[in-house]
Amino acid sequence: MRDVVMMSYGEAIRAALDDALAKFPEMLLIGEGVPDPKTIFGTTQGLREKYGAERVLDMPLAENGMTGICIGAALAGMRPVLVHQRIDFALLSVDQLVNNAAKWHYMFDGQQQVPLVIRVIIGRGWGQGPQHSQSLQAMFAQVPGLKVVMPTTAGDAYHFMLAAIADNNPVLFIEHRWLHHIQGEVDKHCPMAELSGAALLRQGTEITLAAFSHMSIEALKAATVLASYGIDAEVLDMRCVSPLDVESVAASLAKTGGKLVIADCAPELASTGHQLLSKLVLTHGHHLQQVPRLIAYPNHPVPTSHFVANHYYPGAEQIASAVLDMLDRSELTESVIGALQSDLPKDQPDRSFVGPF
Amino acid sequence: MTVMSPAPADLKHLYYQMLRIRRAEEAIARRYAEQQMRCPTHLCIGEEAIAVGVCAHLTAQDKVFSNHRGHGHYLAKGGDLPRLLAELYGYAEGCCGGRGGSMHLTDLEAGFVASTPIVGGTVPLAAGYAWAEQMKKSDAAQGSASVAGGRMPEATNVVVIFFGDGCFEEGVMHETLNFAVLKQLPLLFICENNQYSVMTPLAERQPKRDIYKIAAAHGLNTFSGDGNRADEVFQLAQSAVTNARNGLGPQFLELHTHRWPEHCGPNEDDDLGYRSAGELAEWKLRCPLLQTRQMLLGLQLSNDAELVQMDAQLTEEIEQAFAWALQGSRPTIDSMRQHLYA
Repeated sequence: MRDVVMMSYGEAIRAALDDALAKFPEMLLIGEGVPDPKTIFGTTQGLREKYGAERVLDMPLAENGMTGICIGAALAGMRPVLVHQRIDFALLSVDQLVNNAAKWHYMFDGQQQVPLVIRVIIGRGWGQGPQHSQSLQAMFAQVPGLKVVMPTTAGDAYHFMLAAIADNNPVLFIEHRWLHHIQGEVDKHCPMAELSGAALLRQGTEITLAAFSHMSIEALKAATVLASYGIDAEVLDMRCVSPLDVESVAASLAKTGGKLVIADCAPELASTGHQLLSKLVLTHGHHLQQVPRLIAYPNHPVPTSHFVANHYYPGAEQIASAVLDMLDRSELTESVIGALQSDLPKDQPDRSFVGPF
Repeated sequence: MTVMSPAPADLKHLYYQMLRIRRAEEAIARRYAEQQMRCPTHLCIGEEAIAVGVCAHLTAQDKVFSNHRGHGHYLAKGGDLPRLLAELYGYAEGCCGGRGGSMHLTDLEAGFVASTPIVGGTVPLAAGYAWAEQMKKSDAAQGSASVAGGRMPEATNVVVIFFGDGCFEEGVMHETLNFAVLKQLPLLFICENNQYSVMTPLAERQPKRDIYKIAAAHGLNTFSGDGNRADEVFQLAQSAVTNARNGLGPQFLELHTHRWPEHCGPNEDDDLGYRSAGELAEWKLRCPLLQTRQMLLGLQLSNDAELVQMDAQLTEEIEQAFAWALQGSRPTIDSMRQHLYA
């Protein structure tokens, strides 16, 4: 039975947390601001009232200690979900995440497990600046024992959050702030999701776009405009960063003649695109018929001033331009970019967003 | 606060447990030169009274977390000796299947959850475990209240974290102390102050002040005492454990002691000169076993013949444990890939 509801990504996160709190009496939801009046951009709204202050709670500003405390609670049978409003704060907890959470099950020979979700948000726009807008997915994905997911659609946000909470391993759940307002279909009656595999966002035959998180939205925008010019791009959403689904990309390349553009919301140096490319070359090198392109951010922090920050982020225009270049259709570039341009300031995702956010 | 001296049977138990740890550590040290226990090994010789005096008050349902110097904590909590030794040899029968070695021990049946060597790493885990125990008890109390009309719930299981003076310098230590007091956790912080972090003396690392007073400023109920007097540790721990069980919140014990061997390895290293002349010799005169033995004999609670027999019995147990461990099997190469994910 399908029971499809339209909701925003942020609402889907809230619905998943709500349903998980109901399903797992051992689940805890903890983080700076979880029960405050702004409720993590609305994603924890009403949950304390519904499930009580013992299970839905704020915490001291002690990211490393609280991560360890959540690991200890998980060892004792709880299912904590620890929230950081920006992924940048998770850096304070790298010791506990890497030395303990990721290794505990392995180093104690499978005798103990750490069912823990770390929920983090990548910021962007309205002057988030160098320390409120980092993209650290590749760094965390380099740690064996951590699962790292960054779903893009509301449906995946709902199902991945439920699956992450049900999982008996530590899962880093990365949300991009610019996804929160985007509406999508959520079918609550799907079976429990697997925390693996890319999602096919658009079928195509001429070129493969493999994109991460918010860049998948940009890739889809590019593909939609390109389609009106008769160019048929396939869009894969790389919603799992670890494990990385190289097979789906290889299968797509077999169909699209080995042409690949990767788009990641991270600086080039810190892009999971490199991991994807490296694995593709090593295991499916014959599928790459042309030198692939990687669209990523510049290798420096983003400055706060919107006058310059607006030029930091690549998006649909750069993706489309790379596609046209690879397909030898550069004569269309000016026209396609013209069609993609919007008059919206680049430091806000939507007209509904009013600073600060 | 009423402090009870250990009963004769308790004192003998303390001595027995300390001697067992001492003899096990000495046997490990003797065999370490064979180069078959191929893992960093931090012996606790000289510090046995703390583990034994605290764990004497714990049940199997109480939990212990520990650090790199964890053999004594593991054994005092009832951890399996043959499986500890097999772990040092890297055999599949080891308590971690050979994945941990000396610095990663576990025996869940005994309530010894884990030791790890990142200093401070297990401190918040112990608090998290205690937090979960507290929540479970609160749920159970609500359940029983609705059934039995609000009868008193059973006393809480407690969690103990052992750590050293160096660990008190870690940020995560203070983050954990703050949370433990905030939530009034049934948790005991046991600071084994042996005055050295590897070879660096306390005076180079901390200003001159008592560690336990910092814990008191965090809001913990604190105790301090001679960590080489098993009877004193026993008495202080008795009060602390009772407090924690009865919902009086986290307790902090600073216990002064001294490590005899080198930081890591089977030998003494006094020749390196990082301790002042005569310092180690003076601490050896304050040997926790020697002091308790003198009490047992002085109070006529035991006699030489009985203690000699006790020693022989322990030596036999340890020899058998080594014999069992040395029969261990190598983990298969394929097993190395297992258990990355649950």
